[in-house]
Amino acid sequence: MIDFIRDYGLILILFILPVIFVLQPLFLPRIEKMHIQLDVADLKRKKLLIYRQIKELEMEYDIGNINNNDFISGRATLKKEVSEVIATLKSL
Amino acid sequence: MNSNKKFFLMIIGIISMVIFWISWVSMNPADEKAMTTFVSVDELINDNINHRTKLGGLVKDGSIAISKTNYLDCTFVLKEGNTELDVKYGRTRPDLFKDGVEVIVTGQYLNGVFYADELQTKCASRYEGDLRNESSYNLNEIDS
Amino acid sequence: MTPIAGGVALNLAFGFSILTVFTLFLHTRNGDQRLFLTGQRLALGISFFVFLATFILTFQLIQSNFDIDYVARYTSLETPFIYKISALWAGQSGSLLFWLFILSVYTTIVILQNQRKHNSLMPWVIITLVIVQMFFLILTNYVTNPFKPTEADFIVTNGNGLNPLLQNVTMAIHPPTLYLGFVGFSVPFGFAISALINGDTSPLWIQSIRRWALVAWLFLSMGIILGGWWAYRELGWGGYWAWDPVENASFMPWLTATAFIHSIIIQEKKDMLRLWNMSLIIMTFTLCIFGTFLTRSGVMSSVHSFTASSLGPIFLTFVFLIIVVSFGMMYFRRNELKSPRKMESFTSRESGFLFNNMVFVVLCFSVFWGTLFPVISEAVRGTKITVGPPFFNQINIPIGLILLALTGIGPLLAWRKTGRKNLIRNFTFPILTGLSTATILLFIGFRGYVVISFSLGAFVTATIGTEFARGIHARRKKFDESIIKALIRMVSKNRSRYGGYVVHLGIVFMFVGFTGHAFDDEKEFSLTVGETDHVAGYTFELLQLSEAERANHYAWISDLRVTNQEGTFVTNLHPEKRIYFHNNPDPNRRQPHSELDIYTTMNQDIYSIFSGVDSENGVAFIKIMVNPLVRWVWVGGFILVFGTIVALWPRKD
Repeated sequence: MIDFIRDYGLILILFILPVIFVLQPLFLPRIEKMHIQLDVADLKRKKLLIYRQIKELEMEYDIGNINNNDFISGRATLKKEVSEVIATLKSL
Repeated sequence: MNSNKKFFLMIIGIISMVIFWISWVSMNPADEKAMTTFVSVDELINDNINHRTKLGGLVKDGSIAISKTNYLDCTFVLKEGNTELDVKYGRTRPDLFKDGVEVIVTGQYLNGVFYADELQTKCASRYEGDLRNESSYNLNEIDS
Repeated sequence: MTPIAGGVALNLAFGFSILTVFTLFLHTRNGDQRLFLTGQRLALGISFFVFLATFILTFQLIQSNFDIDYVARYTSLETPFIYKISALWAGQSGSLLFWLFILSVYTTIVILQNQRKHNSLMPWVIITLVIVQMFFLILTNYVTNPFKPTEADFIVTNGNGLNPLLQNVTMAIHPPTLYLGFVGFSVPFGFAISALINGDTSPLWIQSIRRWALVAWLFLSMGIILGGWWAYRELGWGGYWAWDPVENASFMPWLTATAFIHSIIIQEKKDMLRLWNMSLIIMTFTLCIFGTFLTRSGVMSSVHSFTASSLGPIFLTFVFLIIVVSFGMMYFRRNELKSPRKMESFTSRESGFLFNNMVFVVLCFSVFWGTLFPVISEAVRGTKITVGPPFFNQINIPIGLILLALTGIGPLLAWRKTGRKNLIRNFTFPILTGLSTATILLFIGFRGYVVISFSLGAFVTATIGTEFARGIHARRKKFDESIIKALIRMVSKNRSRYGGYVVHLGIVFMFVGFTGHAFDDEKEFSLTVGETDHVAGYTFELLQLSEAERANHYAWISDLRVTNQEGTFVTNLHPEKRIYFHNNPDPNRRQPHSELDIYTTMNQDIYSIFSGVDSENGVAFIKIMVNPLVRWVWVGGFILVFGTIVALWPRKD
């Protein structure tokens, strides 16, 4: 009796459960666009990334690795990028 | 010349230098130990090759003889297929060196004897026994 | 029952892998998100079955189930517990399963990491990783199956046991550490291929894998250093690197990987070197697979090789496919790989990184050439040649020194172009340091590469110091902070950069250690009790010769007293000559082994080997090697690891 349970338990775990796990999404309604929630998290991450890049640019300038013009134009580009992200975030 | 062309030429230049450097060293190694030809024992004896060579083979059973006067010196017979060759070696012997073991010797062949200055045995990353032979299992170390 | 379950699990994993590729490919065609979710879950299913198979095999090893061929070959009832587990990667089929296991762990992490993210690269990333898994699944299922039952006409009561040479902690952790590195580069490779297929020119793939690449690089570095450490401590030839094909197999991907982790900085900041980065990661991954192939297939007759098997052609085919498909994709996307910006000046940081890439690739090529030259020579000229360390050293030392110089020059260059004023300001102190070191060394009497190496080491150390000073100074101008506080905050806010500089310092230390080789000394002699002999200014006296019978071996122990030129006591050394399985009736199964004793200081190592004994006459045959500066290599290794951990230390998000 115990052997029977053990063997069939094994087969269940080994095969049937994974198959159920794998097939489950196919029964959901068709989705082609990602949820809005995911986009918000992504945008927040992107904002943080750009802020860090601005900080790093400032540090390079302080040390003297970038000339004045490059620093100003580089920072302007990054600031424009981050304001676009913030605007998109606000609209969501 | 615009900077693109400059970089392109520089890359070509570096590649040529590298090819030249590597080829030059390959043709003229500074150390005689840089490259050694691996030959078969037959070839060595038949062609009487006297420059530095490398040989591979098995240690003939019972052929290892350690000098009575200098423990480091030994002679043995190298067997490759059916060909045998006397080898003299005068440095620390590797731990795995014994009868029947596969070795690689490097040195010079002179007057019928091979004077080896390098001796290598195959690294035993596996302890190969014949698993079908019952006597190959019998390791009761802890009890003895 | 469970061994069969192991084989079944591997089969199911293979089946799932085919389904995963199919499902995800369908998803990329029609965009149905449900197919992506199913595909993801199928990939997780592969990992599940691989984990199951691995745990089952480990369990069989622990339980000493000798009905399984692999367990009988690599363990015995007497094998200590920890080595029963490490036997998992001791042999060919087990180590391939282990490779697959690590890849499955990494794939699972990548999938879970990206659950909450919208990473458009993911479908092809998973497809690529699963195809690599598929390769190893084919091998472990159909070519070299770890669950193969023992073929014997009798009941096997005890296994072969693990060779005593392999029974030490370093040898137990060296392969898994290397594998964690080798396999780790599959992930950046997957993202790179995905970016190529998607035609995505943004640095998204690089941002996704920067940390992955660094972690893989860390493990690869540690694995290589551990291998050298083990060779030095256990093999008894007094060295840690022999330019052996298997050593080279791990070094080549390390070189291209190091170039890669530097080069991607440029693409993230300036969107340049796209072509380089793509090529470097493809080369690194290919070399990792090729390295696994070199180690496992026995194609090179090196001291490490496993016996030749059908593995070779299969691996070579896979390597060939990787190269053809990857570079084919690169050609297809050649327009996207053209960077919008151009290199402007030779004295720019960008060109410094470009030079860096080239030197690493050249070094990799020369190691590749030296490793494969014997094979090529045999194919072309028919003569078999072996290439020894002097060849590699002659070619690589100059290139290595150029690399060392670049390590110092690079960080001091500015973006786009370093103005004259900056050049003078940044380089004066380091160049002066290097030149004065050179002058002092030449004055003392040193010549050649030794002078260049130490002077460059001093130069690079000075540049690292300059970099820290510049950063602290810049911070203190802006904020009112003490030097210590500025240092801590500066490093904390720029972990990659300053962690990287610490790694460079570690490399300098290692180069100092390497240079010590130029002064190696050695001597072999015999001693009876009371006799003395001399090497390199040290005197060695044999105080005592004793014997001992221990649990699994018999030992002859020599007690050596070491004194220096002034007669001051330095240390006692106790090298031993051991015979493992000394009681085995078959003399061929008795294994002699020299247990070294090493006295190590930062200055030098005194390395003693008990090579032989004449017990009748009480004569001990001793070999002494005096190896200067070896410890600098290991200390450098620690600094390297520490620096990498600083660079990797997570910031609160």
